[in-house]
Amino acid sequence: MLFRILKNSFLKRPKAIFLIFLSIAMGSAVATAFLGIAGEISHKMALELRSYGANILIEPSAAEGGGFLREEDLPKIKTVFWKYNITGFTPYLFGIAEFSAGGRKERGVVSGTWFTKQLEVPGEEFSIQGIKGIAPWWEVQGRWPEDADEAIIGASLAKRLNISSGSDVTTIVRGGNQKFRIVGVVTTGGYEEEQLFAPLVTVQSLLQQQGKVSRVQVSALTVPMDDFGKKDPTTMTKDEYEKWYCTAYVTSVAKNVEEVMAGSRAKPIWQIASAEGALLKKLNSVMLLLTVLALGASATAVSTSLMASMAERSPEIALMKAIGADRFQISSIFIGETLIISLAGGVSGYLLGGQLAELISRTVFNSTIASPLWLFPTAIISAFVVAIAGSIVPLRRALLIEPVTVLKG
Amino acid sequence: MSENIIETNGLTRNYGDICALKPLDLQVPEGEWLSVMGHSGSGKSTLMNLVGGLDRPSAGSLRVGGKDLLALTEDGLARFRRESVGIIFQQHHMVPYLTAVENVMMAQYFHSVPDEAEARSALERVGLGHRLKNRPGELSGGEQQRVCIARAIINSPKLLLGDEPTGNLDHKSTIMVMELLKELRAEERFTVIMVTHNQEVAAWGDRTIYLDDGVLVREERTAG
Ligand SMILES: Nc1ncnc2c1ncn2[C@@H]1O[C@H](COP(=O)(O)OP(=O)(O)OP(=O)(O)O)[C@@H](O)[C@H]1O
Ligand SMILES: [Mg+2]
Repeated sequence: MLFRILKNSFLKRPKAIFLIFLSIAMGSAVATAFLGIAGEISHKMALELRSYGANILIEPSAAEGGGFLREEDLPKIKTVFWKYNITGFTPYLFGIAEFSAGGRKERGVVSGTWFTKQLEVPGEEFSIQGIKGIAPWWEVQGRWPEDADEAIIGASLAKRLNISSGSDVTTIVRGGNQKFRIVGVVTTGGYEEEQLFAPLVTVQSLLQQQGKVSRVQVSALTVPMDDFGKKDPTTMTKDEYEKWYCTAYVTSVAKNVEEVMAGSRAKPIWQIASAEGALLKKLNSVMLLLTVLALGASATAVSTSLMASMAERSPEIALMKAIGADRFQISSIFIGETLIISLAGGVSGYLLGGQLAELISRTVFNSTIASPLWLFPTAIISAFVVAIAGSIVPLRRALLIEPVTVLKG
Repeated sequence: MSENIIETNGLTRNYGDICALKPLDLQVPEGEWLSVMGHSGSGKSTLMNLVGGLDRPSAGSLRVGGKDLLALTEDGLARFRRESVGIIFQQHHMVPYLTAVENVMMAQYFHSVPDEAEARSALERVGLGHRLKNRPGELSGGEQQRVCIARAIINSPKLLLGDEPTGNLDHKSTIMVMELLKELRAEERFTVIMVTHNQEVAAWGDRTIYLDDGVLVREERTAG
């Protein structure tokens, strides 16, 4: 009978029902779309943020600073537990040098590094590592070095030497010198502008430090630090440690890398890591807030439509009460109605939201996403939540209707 | 001597300063057909609503079918209405989107379980066997009122209340409805209280009470 009442009431008022359905479907669609792309957005944003600098620095563990890391350990970085989170890395070998060009002499730092190193690690995906990958904001006037005797020079060092692309610079260190052809002048906005960057092998032989590296910069996708992540791993229980190790905190990824680099100490670059975490956290709260607002807006719309139809239906409600319907029976009619509409609204919201998520993903990130399965229950539940929230006030109003006043004879 | 189905003592209903029903002592024996008359605003509907459990008195006591209505909660009153009372209004109050038979079944649904066959035979009893699937908009006023009667008696109430049930009907339909009620009462033995402005309609009852400004001023037994 309840079903008959609901069916006929639906057929009788298609417009009102459609409006409510629409409000619910919209709210659920927006919620679905937002939640669907939230993961994607975080991921894409994190990737984007990775282009603003490495967030892990690996140094020799020896405190006095005289130690070195071994170049031969570098490929192992591509084999660690968190290897898929490591988007790039590059080694550096530093030396103090005197640069001479066109009669001028200036002191500065010569830095051996990888520019675009093709890294082949057995059993792992082929990858290209080096500065170009982890510091995409470097502005090179000219081009990147390709040969062993080519180099790029920091803008302020170049200014002091009064040279530009095409010049030759002789780099003199104790016990040797090397002539570099400058192929580019680099602007970074940082201390790098005082350095000369040349291929790692060349600098290693110049400094007579074959196979050695002073430090490694690593860029890794990490999750924002939370209270648990901030705990000191040495004080954790076995289970906690496992959980910590298996969460992509910047500290656990650093730990991961440290384990494969002999004699190393890896530490997060906190300015970057925490700024990034804060940004991602904000992004997530904005997404959540927008979702809640969208749901709130559609609940309000549902409430308004229900209120309107409630006014129109008060004689019918009064009549039902007069012939003995109690509050539970009246409520089940209205809740039944909204639940049926919200089920339909949830299904449409899911389909619509999936499309919306895909559209956003395509236009904003140029990629497609597969709607995860959990979005379906999410859409249905958000539709129910909207429907229930939107029904509270109208239902209370319905329960307050007095048959005597409405059915005055 | 039969039991009284209704007993009131100092039954009063105020609306703010307005005293719609002044302290009223009324006894209605089980099975009686009581007509209530009085000019507009005299408190007839107020009395009906109180007796039918649709409204609560301001003072006094009210027992219907052995139940103290003042002691019942809101849902308790709803239960009392669906189990013990059948109500017919002046306006033919049907749910507009339900058919005749569904309107009757709705009362069964609120009471216990809907039974389409029983609802159908109730409509046949009021002479509407051929209009089962029609909605209120497709029924005449008299026909709608007969649907309401079928709905009012479907749960075998002890008490049938009519607040000017024939007020909107022409003479012929009025006679039809009254005869129907008389027949049904003969079979079901329920008590009838009926408000009317029509002397002729009042004469169908066993007894008529007259209200004036919320006071019972006169009562008379119908001759014969
Ligand atoms: N909800 C209310 N609020 C205030 N006053 C009311 C209310 N309901 C009824 N009254 C007043 O109570 C008095 C009795 O009203 P009631 O409806 O019982 O009259 P009635 O005898 O049924 O009249 P009629 O024949 O016109 O239906 C009237 O003066 C009316 O104005
Ligand atoms: Mg009245």
